[in-house]
Amino acid sequence: MYIYRLVFLLVLAVYIFSPNILDWLIQPGTAWYSPFVAWACLIAVGFWLEWRRDPNEF
Amino acid sequence: MSFSLTTLILVSFGYLLLLFGIAHITERGIIPKRWVRHPVVYVLSLGVYAGTWAVYGAVGMAGEFGFGFIAYYIGISGAFLLAPVLLNPVLRIGRAYQLTSLADLFAFRYRSQWAGTLVTLLSAAAILSLLSMQIKAVADSAALLSPHTSPRMVGILFSVAMILFTVLFGARHEQGGDSHQGLVIAIAFDSLVKLSALLLLGAVLLYSVFGGLSGLDQWLASTSYSPSPFSQQLNDGGWRALMLMSFSAVLVLPHMYHMVFSENPSPKALAKASWGLPLYLFLLSLPVPIILWGGIALEAPTTASFYALGTTFSLNSPALTLVMYIAGLSAASGLMIVSTLALAGMVLNHVVLPLRPPREQSNIYSWLRWVKRLLVAIIIFASLLFYDWVGSRLDFSTLGILALSGALQLLPGALAVIYWPEGNRKGLIAGLLAGAGVWILGLVLPFSYAPDLLHRLGLPVVDPSNSHIYVFASLTLNVVVFALVSLLSRTSNEESSAAQACSLGALSRPRRRELLSGSSEEFKQQLAKPLGIAVAQREIDRALTQLRLPPVEYRPYQLRRLRDQIEVNLSGLMGPSVAQDIVKHHLGFKPQAGRGSGQDIHYIEKALGDYQSQLTGLAGELDNLRRHYRQTLQNLPIAACSVGDDGEILMWNHAMERITGIAADDVVGARLNALPDQWNEMLDDFVSGEELHRHKHRLDMKGRPRWFNLHKSTLSGPDHPEGGNVVLVEDQTETRLLEDELMHSERLASVGRLAAGVAHEVGNPVTGISSLAQNLKLETDNPDILQTADQIQQQTRRISRILQSLMNFARSGNHAQANRYEPAVIRRCVDESINLVSLSGKGRSLNYQNDCPEDLMVLGDEQRLVQVFVNLLANSRDASPEGSTIRVSGKREAYSAIIEVIDEGDGIPADQLDHIFEPFYTTKGPNQGTGLGLALVYSIVEEHYGNIQVESPVSDAGQGGTCIRLKLPAYEIEDDAQERSGIVD
Repeated sequence: MYIYRLVFLLVLAVYIFSPNILDWLIQPGTAWYSPFVAWACLIAVGFWLEWRRDPNEF
Repeated sequence: MSFSLTTLILVSFGYLLLLFGIAHITERGIIPKRWVRHPVVYVLSLGVYAGTWAVYGAVGMAGEFGFGFIAYYIGISGAFLLAPVLLNPVLRIGRAYQLTSLADLFAFRYRSQWAGTLVTLLSAAAILSLLSMQIKAVADSAALLSPHTSPRMVGILFSVAMILFTVLFGARHEQGGDSHQGLVIAIAFDSLVKLSALLLLGAVLLYSVFGGLSGLDQWLASTSYSPSPFSQQLNDGGWRALMLMSFSAVLVLPHMYHMVFSENPSPKALAKASWGLPLYLFLLSLPVPIILWGGIALEAPTTASFYALGTTFSLNSPALTLVMYIAGLSAASGLMIVSTLALAGMVLNHVVLPLRPPREQSNIYSWLRWVKRLLVAIIIFASLLFYDWVGSRLDFSTLGILALSGALQLLPGALAVIYWPEGNRKGLIAGLLAGAGVWILGLVLPFSYAPDLLHRLGLPVVDPSNSHIYVFASLTLNVVVFALVSLLSRTSNEESSAAQACSLGALSRPRRRELLSGSSEEFKQQLAKPLGIAVAQREIDRALTQLRLPPVEYRPYQLRRLRDQIEVNLSGLMGPSVAQDIVKHHLGFKPQAGRGSGQDIHYIEKALGDYQSQLTGLAGELDNLRRHYRQTLQNLPIAACSVGDDGEILMWNHAMERITGIAADDVVGARLNALPDQWNEMLDDFVSGEELHRHKHRLDMKGRPRWFNLHKSTLSGPDHPEGGNVVLVEDQTETRLLEDELMHSERLASVGRLAAGVAHEVGNPVTGISSLAQNLKLETDNPDILQTADQIQQQTRRISRILQSLMNFARSGNHAQANRYEPAVIRRCVDESINLVSLSGKGRSLNYQNDCPEDLMVLGDEQRLVQVFVNLLANSRDASPEGSTIRVSGKREAYSAIIEVIDEGDGIPADQLDHIFEPFYTTKGPNQGTGLGLALVYSIVEEHYGNIQVESPVSDAGQGGTCIRLKLPAYEIEDDAQERSGIVD
């Protein structure tokens, strides 16, 4: 269950700090599409995780 | 720009008909299955989540809160990125137990019909707001396109169309059947239309209004658009609340649960959706800011929410306007159809069926179908009423928040299904009631009916910007009450077992209990009471086919599986609560005796087997050990079986399969009395008896007796209170036959010794008679008397010969004389034997051929070896026709000397081959043989540590001819000489 606790903590941290992350991404001087770039990176990570996933994994 | 209402109706119906056509050709199988079940189709079908929000609401929210709008997409994207730990477990449970909605899942996990009903009612209340949002989107957009049209009229028309199409799409089949593939394809098409339209509009605006990305940057840098909501700091609370609601949507919104889990083609598709849906939502949100800025730049004549249409008015492009209208219609219709279908299924299972179970007489499938159609109509009509009374006054954001915050109350219970087995039904219901109370008081009533209610209660007044306060308050209260009540109240055993079955990585440990019904036929009779004979028959046959069981099943383990499968199937048909109720009452277990019966070991083994390589770490190591010991037991060279204290066979190893000829699959899980009679009698009697060992138990099988030794040991002990026995079965048949043979030989040996004694005693008088006959010949010249005396002497010689043979035979077997063995040349022995045999008057025309090599030697008594060959050659001579050849050949094979005596006689019949070495057995006529010749040969060869084989017939034609093959240890001159000298030294 340790992996799930770790995932839970990570998700909680991302959730709590998500407004600050977005504020940082849209601060003046950055391109309007910066949040989309960050989002695209997240999708790429998701794709990579799914791609290297063991078919027997939960 | 305006369109007539008729045009809009035609376009709308045309599009809906196209959608229905796509679904129809899918269900007819015209679209290949591999396309229908392709993960891309699944991912697109999940796009139903966005609804009209994607086309209208998102732009409106972006206009107010800037990038805050993407929280609605980011939350659910997060949930999908966590699919392996969040969605896969729910998919697994849903598939295993045929749970088609969240209410099913709750009713199954918390073992409570009330939980299912409460979830259904709360979902219905929340979803009404979402459905009315879709009606509002279509009605308002139609009113924009056709200014003289009443939105209310459009709403009514749209609702009627939705009732019609929803019934056509999904309520044509009974529940629990295959997934609605036509529906999935149609919703995927909807999502594709929505996405294409938005991307098209975004691209048109970007290039026609701003002249590309650089133009957009310049426009944004200009002062014409200030202050931009995109540069404002986010409303942290609102963002977090929307993100959490969006995160929970995948589990708690009926249409999302339906599309994600019930219509899921495979776990692989869900894995692809873990990044596929975030990608789809990313593409859907990309044009939103551009549409908003385009609307502002073009000064579109609508509110920001409808810029998707307003910008097309400004661009003066009727085609683009119609495309965007269809995109909105497509988004709204997709969400409405799926939500209504999912909700109708929930209401049917958790409100209608518990109140009014289907009657026996009626056709249940048809009854369910009609009730579902009625429910679809009621739900859409209720949404229309909600739209008319409340929804038409509220904006998209408020309607969305009302729906999502209501459904959010189900999140704690849903997460507890996977992660918190301690949560119980009392806690769940208390938490849900508390959370729903705050939701109604803080959000529903103020937004819909009494705006000043909170003010009167002294609480902060709610508006879309601070609604997150009440969202979090309701959720927090829900979680706290759920946790406290669960921890303080008692959980029933049944609920604990269901919680274990649902927990992540948990394995249910069912008890091995005896069913009241003893066969699948009795199941049918029992189930016919609530379901009617036709439905009972169909459901049981279906379950038997699914489990690949024979048409009539009687094994207890398989009957328990069958019972579970029927419950699962009925759960898909009428929800888990009703299914549990029917199965519990009509396919019940016998009351348990004093102590609980054992765990269903076979079931657990099978479940563990299904995990295969999924177990890791310590669990994986323990599983490896389990497999090792299981394999050890299975491959044990002694037949072993394990029997529970109720007589159920729990283990049946390979050796047991070989001995009994009964496959393990046929008996494991059955009782001993299911075995064939003789095995049942033996094992049942032994298991139930007091004795721990039984020797030489005789079983007559197929006319042949077999003997078994049985041993048993009880399984009960400090670590295993459940009792039962392990039984070892040893096949003693061969040993018993050998013993019989030995006794026979002993008897023969006694006879031989007796015969030798008799021979010795008879020898003396015979010698006397012979002497007297000799004397008689000397004392008379009478030719008659002389002839008689000759005959007496002949007969006495014959008696002496017989007696000599008998004494030779009796003397053989004395191995002590082996010490006197000397090297003997086989060729010389054979020559001498041929000379001796030739002396007899018989067979003078036969050819004796000695082909033995000179150097072929054995260690033995040469005289006795000559005796062997004399007997063999004499037999051959007697059997051979005149003029034939008797050949003796010899050769060395490894350490053996092989000598063959081959004749061309008639051969030995097959039925006599087994007996020719027995003493006194002869095939010759009376007065021609004693039947001791070959018995003597056998004894002498045995004395020389050799063996003898007979082959007949041996001639090429396959008729006649006998080959006697002797195999004796060969003597090797050098090695053996050295050894002998070594011994001397």
